[in-house]
This record gives sequence, C-alpha cells and structure tokens, in this order.
Amino acid sequence: MMLENFLQALTAGILAGSIYGLMCVGLALIFGVMRVINFAQGDFMMLGMYAAYYLFAALGVQATFGDNLGPYVAVGLATPLLFAFGYVIHRVLVSRVTGARTAALEGEGHYAQLILTLGIALILQNGGQILFGSVLVSVRTPLSSSAWEIGPLWGDFVSVFVNKSRGIAAVVSVATIAALALLIARTRLGKSLRAAADNPEAATYMGIEVDHAYRIAFGLGAAITSVAGGLLATNYPFQPHIGLEYVIVMYAGVVLGGMGSIIGAFWGGMAIGLVQQLSTLVLPTQLQNAAIFVVFLLIVFLRPQGFFGRVVERT
Amino acid sequence: MLRIEALSAGYTAVPVLNGVSIAVDEGQFVAIVGPNGAGKTTLFKTISGTVGLMAGSIRFLDTDLASVPPHRRAHLGIAHVPEGRQVFPSLTVMENLEMGAYTEAGRRDWTSNIERIFAWLPVLAERRGQLAGTLSGGEQQMLAIGRGLASSPKLLMLDEPSMGLAPAIADFIFERLIEIRRQSGLTVLLVEQRVAEALESADHGYVLEMGRVVLEGNNKTLRADDRVRQAYLGM
Ligand SMILES: Nc1ncnc2c1ncn2[C@@H]1O[C@H](COP(=O)(O)OP(=O)(O)OP(=O)(O)O)[C@@H](O)[C@H]1O
Ligand SMILES: [Mg+2]
Repeated sequence: MMLENFLQALTAGILAGSIYGLMCVGLALIFGVMRVINFAQGDFMMLGMYAAYYLFAALGVQATFGDNLGPYVAVGLATPLLFAFGYVIHRVLVSRVTGARTAALEGEGHYAQLILTLGIALILQNGGQILFGSVLVSVRTPLSSSAWEIGPLWGDFVSVFVNKSRGIAAVVSVATIAALALLIARTRLGKSLRAAADNPEAATYMGIEVDHAYRIAFGLGAAITSVAGGLLATNYPFQPHIGLEYVIVMYAGVVLGGMGSIIGAFWGGMAIGLVQQLSTLVLPTQLQNAAIFVVFLLIVFLRPQGFFGRVVERT
Repeated sequence: MLRIEALSAGYTAVPVLNGVSIAVDEGQFVAIVGPNGAGKTTLFKTISGTVGLMAGSIRFLDTDLASVPPHRRAHLGIAHVPEGRQVFPSLTVMENLEMGAYTEAGRRDWTSNIERIFAWLPVLAERRGQLAGTLSGGEQQMLAIGRGLASSPKLLMLDEPSMGLAPAIADFIFERLIEIRRQSGLTVLLVEQRVAEALESADHGYVLEMGRVVLEGNNKTLRADDRVRQAYLGM
C-alpha cells in the first residue's frame, strides 16, 4: 500500500509539475530572459483560462469538436489571442519601463515595472470579476473524470491511475516547452530575443529592433502561460482571482530553475509539483504550500543560482 | 561616404559635441583621437542613433540619417564595434557572429564572411561554442570585431579596440585590423587612444577636444604638428 500511495503521489506530482513547469516557462521568457518583472503573469493566465472557456462553451468549439477534442482546440485558439494581448500590453504600457529606455537606470526600471504590472494585475482581477462574475467555472470534459490504469505492476499488487485530462495536459505541456526551447535556442528570432535581452544597445547596432523583440517575447510569455491556464481549466474550476495563487508558483519556479534558463524554469515548476503532491503523503493538505516554500528556501539557500543558473554576468 | 556637418549632440540640454564636421570617403581609413571625455564615443553613438542629434546633419551614402531609426542604420551598412566590446555574454561566439550577420547583406554573405573572419581571427573558430561572457578581454574584442565584419559593412566604426587590454594583445589586435583592412579594402573609422599607431596607419585624422575638432589633416601633417607631438606623441 505504501508503495502504491507513493507511486500515485509521484504520478500526480509529475502531472501537476508539467503544467506548473509550462506556466513557469512563460514567466521565464519575460522575467528570466528579458528581465522584466511582470506581476500580472498570473492574471494573463486567468485571461487564457476564460478565453478557452468562452471559446469552448459559448463560441461553438464544443459544438464543433465535441467534449474530448474541443477543450484542446479551445486552448489552441486562445493562445494567439493571449499573444496579441501580451504584445499590445507591452506596446502600450510595459515598453515605457523596459529596454533601452531604462537599461541605464538603477535597477533597470524594475521598480517601475513592479508598480505598473501590479496595477495591471489589479485591473485584470477586478475587471474579470465584473465581466466574468465570481462563480467558479471550468472547461468541462469527460476526460477529467476517467483514468488510464498503468499496471498492475509487480505481479498483481500495484497499479497507478493517470487521470486522462491531466495526462494529456502534461503531454501537451512538454511538447509546448520543447517547441519553445527550440525556437529560443535555434532560430534567428530566438537568438535576437536573447541578444536584445543581453545588451539592448549592442543589439541595436546589429540591426535588431529591440522594442519589437521585447514585445514579441512578452507576447510569447503571455501565450505560453495561457496554454498552461487553458490546460489547467480542464481539471480545476476557477474564478477571476486565480492568478494570485499561481503567480507565486511561477516566480518560485523560475528562481528555482535558475534565472534565464527556459528548461530550468520547467524543472523548477516540476519540482514544485512534486513537492506539493509528495508532501501529501506525510503532511496534512493545509501544509502543502508551506512545504513548497520550505523546500524552495532550502534549495535557494544551497544553490542560489538555481538548478540551471549560469554564473555568467551581464557586461 | 560619411559626411558629418556642424553636428551637435549630447545627453542633456548641454551638448557634448559642438559643431563637429567630419568626412570619410570610400576606402579611406580615418582616425579620431583625443583625450578622455572629448566626445569620441558620443560621436559614434550619434552616428548609430543611440544618442540623439541636436543640430547639424549626418549623411551616409545618399541618406540623411536623421530620418533613419537607429536599428535600421546597420542595414544601411554601418557596423559599430562599440567601446568596451559589448558582446552578448549569454550567447556563444558563433551566435554572436550570427547576430552580427543580422543585416540582409550579412545573411547573404554569411558563408564567405565567416570563412574570412575565422581566417583573420582564428581564436574565434577555436572558441565558437563558448559563451562570449566567458572569453578573455582580448578574445571578446576580437569577437566584437568579427561580429562587426559579419554584417558585410560598408563602413566599419571601431571605438577604442585596444581599451583595457595588455599592450601585447592590443598590438596584436591592431596588427589584425591593419591586415583586415589591407585585404578587404573596407572603409574604417577608428577612435583610438594609441595615437601614434592610429595616426601612422590612417589616411586622415581628426583631433577632437572638448567636443570640437581642433585639428585635422593627413597622417603626415598631423604627425608633424607640434601640438600633436607634444600632447599625444610625447615628443
Ligand atoms: N550616458 C551619458 N550621460 C550623460 N553624460 C554622458 C554619458 N556618456 C558620456 N557622457 C559625457 O559626455 C562626455 C563625452 O563622453 P564620451 O564617452 O563621448 O568621451 P570619449 O571621448 O569617448 O572618452 P573616452 O576616451 O574616455 O572613451 C563626457 O563628459 C561624459 O561625461
Ligand atoms: Mg569613449
């Protein structure tokens, strides 16, 4: 029984960790790579959840694609919307406190970013409450109440159940991250984003339009986090204030993984999922979040640069 | 190729540059020398557009640069190798060079450029997979130069390539620059504190002091000038 409980918690941890990892990757682009503090990241995720919800339930995706495929089509359609949202928010607001304009300032404009994005977060939360109401909703799919059974393993004793919608969410998360990691590491666009983050002035001398690079990165970060939100929405009911719960997970994941590392952020989120679920074996559920932060502090204490952090300073 | 006329520019209401006029013809090697704080870096930044122009004009080929946004100037053929190297530390050597080739011309000529750059600066080939932030100062300077060359520039602007380097390394880099220019015939605008070397190899030189051109001429007249000999050549 012990072993079975452990394997079940481990599985739950990996599944939750994959989605957390994906959210963290979205923030890692904005905070880790472009070094912009965005406190509204959780609320971008909330918007992604509602976008998926309305596309699914009200705008015909459910009717067209059914209850099994529909939720994922809705998530896919919500992604470009959130990209556009992030791009525009950056163009109109965030660009005033980032990039070449603030590179020379003390703290690279971080104070202004903090205040600005906190303001955006509050507007989105309260605006969301007015627009969407505070009743819990979810993207309903029968997949969330059925499971694959793995096993029985080791003779007849042990088997592990994988919730179908969570299993699919984990696979989609990992695939999304792989695609993004390739984009950032290999493509001209990805390299120009990293160059613009490293040194906006030198990037300008290369012919890179730095403000444009920042807008793209911000939009991508919002879109990635919204994919995580949409996937989460197939399992968990939510309301307009859900962002607050997750923005902390996201920052913890990015710092754990090591600032600036996309893959690191994924492992940071994964670590949080694992600790959260495994701690239920020994701790009452109310202490789950406390357990996460104890482990967080421990890791940051032992390895301040995070799992994948590089000790290369910016010149 | 480059015509700067009565240029004033700076960071605050008080301009750093006051009525500077400089001309660089195609194929020329022009050096700008002057003491610390004279405004040499500010002049380069104004040409590249990261410092705003207050008065006067900058024409490059047939274009008035006032109407060209900073990031488009590289695409016109201006490569700026900035003071203090400013390589991209979290990118590899190869990725830094690829960013140098961000311009249309750089992409078109990538294969032949990279071959030439590696031949001129072999250390970059050896270190191609290394993060630029972990290179030594001299290697970073060579990378910054290689990155500038990768754009297939029409004008190469170098801001103190010897800054902060041991004399032997600085000599080596200087010798490489002369060789690169000899083989490529590139138009070069160089800012340098090593006045003797700079004036010796340049076709034409300007002395910039307190934001004004106080002296100009070809290398013979400048090196023969008493003020230059006293102030910069220590003779
Ligand atoms: N970002 C800035 N903001 C305000 N003033 C600046 C800035 N950069 C340079 N200055 C001022 O402009 C003047 C010219 O500086 P600049 O860097 O152009 O000199 P330089 O000739 O390149 O000197 P050096 O040989 O030391 O590199 C100096 O008085 C300097 O203090
Ligand atoms: Mg200077």
